[in-house]
Amino acid sequence: MPTYRLHYFDVRGRGEVARLMFNAAGQKFDDVRYTKDTWPDFKPKTPFGQLPVLEVDGKLFGQSGAIFNYLARELGFYGNGNMEALQVDVVMGLVNDFIPLMIKVFFQEQDETKKKELLEKLLNEDATKFFTYFEKVLKENKSSEYFVGKGLTMADIVVYDIVDPLIAHKATIVDPFPLLKANRQKVESNPGIAAYLKSRK
Amino acid sequence: MPSYKLVYFDLRGRGEIVRLCFNAAGVAFDEERIDYPSAWTEEKKAAAPFREVPYLEIDGKKFAQSGAIASFIARQYGLYGDSALENLFIDGVVALSVDYFDTWVRAYFEEDANKKVELETKLKNEDLPKFLGHLEKVLTNSGSGFFSGQRLTLADLAVHHTLEVSYRDFPDIYANYPKVVENRKKVESLPRIKSYLSSRKVTEI
Repeated sequence: MPTYRLHYFDVRGRGEVARLMFNAAGQKFDDVRYTKDTWPDFKPKTPFGQLPVLEVDGKLFGQSGAIFNYLARELGFYGNGNMEALQVDVVMGLVNDFIPLMIKVFFQEQDETKKKELLEKLLNEDATKFFTYFEKVLKENKSSEYFVGKGLTMADIVVYDIVDPLIAHKATIVDPFPLLKANRQKVESNPGIAAYLKSRK
Repeated sequence: MPSYKLVYFDLRGRGEIVRLCFNAAGVAFDEERIDYPSAWTEEKKAAAPFREVPYLEIDGKKFAQSGAIASFIARQYGLYGDSALENLFIDGVVALSVDYFDTWVRAYFEEDANKKVELETKLKNEDLPKFLGHLEKVLTNSGSGFFSGQRLTLADLAVHHTLEVSYRDFPDIYANYPKVVENRKKVESLPRIKSYLSSRKVTEI
């Protein structure tokens, strides 16, 4: 196994899915976290001036999506075969469509009134739209416990990670979606993830 | 060989990467091209897995999300690399392209006239040069004229369709990125790509 080092900020953001996968697989990795002070020195060393960066045996690679795909494949979270990989990627795509809506509310909108409005829309309209899709994918998968195939894949982990901050704002947000709710419990029952979540600040 | 049918709008947009992949691989596929917005009806939306296009029908089963579809075709028909690390690198270039494409989409479809000018100015003066700068650096390191290895991969195709609009609208900028231009011409000279592009319908986007 190569030596892995994840470079990211000291937040969950676009790095957490990698951390979750490393922990789920019981794969050792260096969890390097940058602050406002330490980031400027590292920035010019990165491939595209951004984080996260995955260092594999000393080589640096950028772009979270690419990093997640690589780790999923290496750590066994991409299902079996090309068709299941396609299904995992479909879920990744849906999540990637949802993320900008969250970013707009939590990081971009400055006007307080508009922000409140957008948050309401996110927690109700937008969440309902996407959770309905997630529920549909779970239902269409034979096992229905996982998004793809018979076991944990990156699809389960990515959806788990993106729903987390929404539950913080609206505790009941997953309740109308029984398969999604059960899937969250399945993710949390992975021993590596369970231990990590306990220690996560 | 499974039967493939791409369903998308009658334009390049987020469907073009799928068309480029199939053509590059020499794999036949059917297409439904939906006139946008006139033919984009509730019936068409309901037929899509998540009410959007593109989606790909593989032996009748529907799969959404352009990135997922492109990666599937690339994996299936040899448009990826030779190792996990090379694929990580290729996916990085593709993801960078999607970031720029998404930024362009936000500018192009902005309804507020003032905001649109702001976004388009930023796109031309900041986002595009930044993106092209990264690509020029990758191509300089590569040395082969392709983004990864010695042959065409998904990375070259993703960059090609992503730069279509800016290449047409801001040709002067490209004088500063000779390797990007060289790569574009190299991709277009490949027989299957050349053939496809010569007969491709011309659309605004």
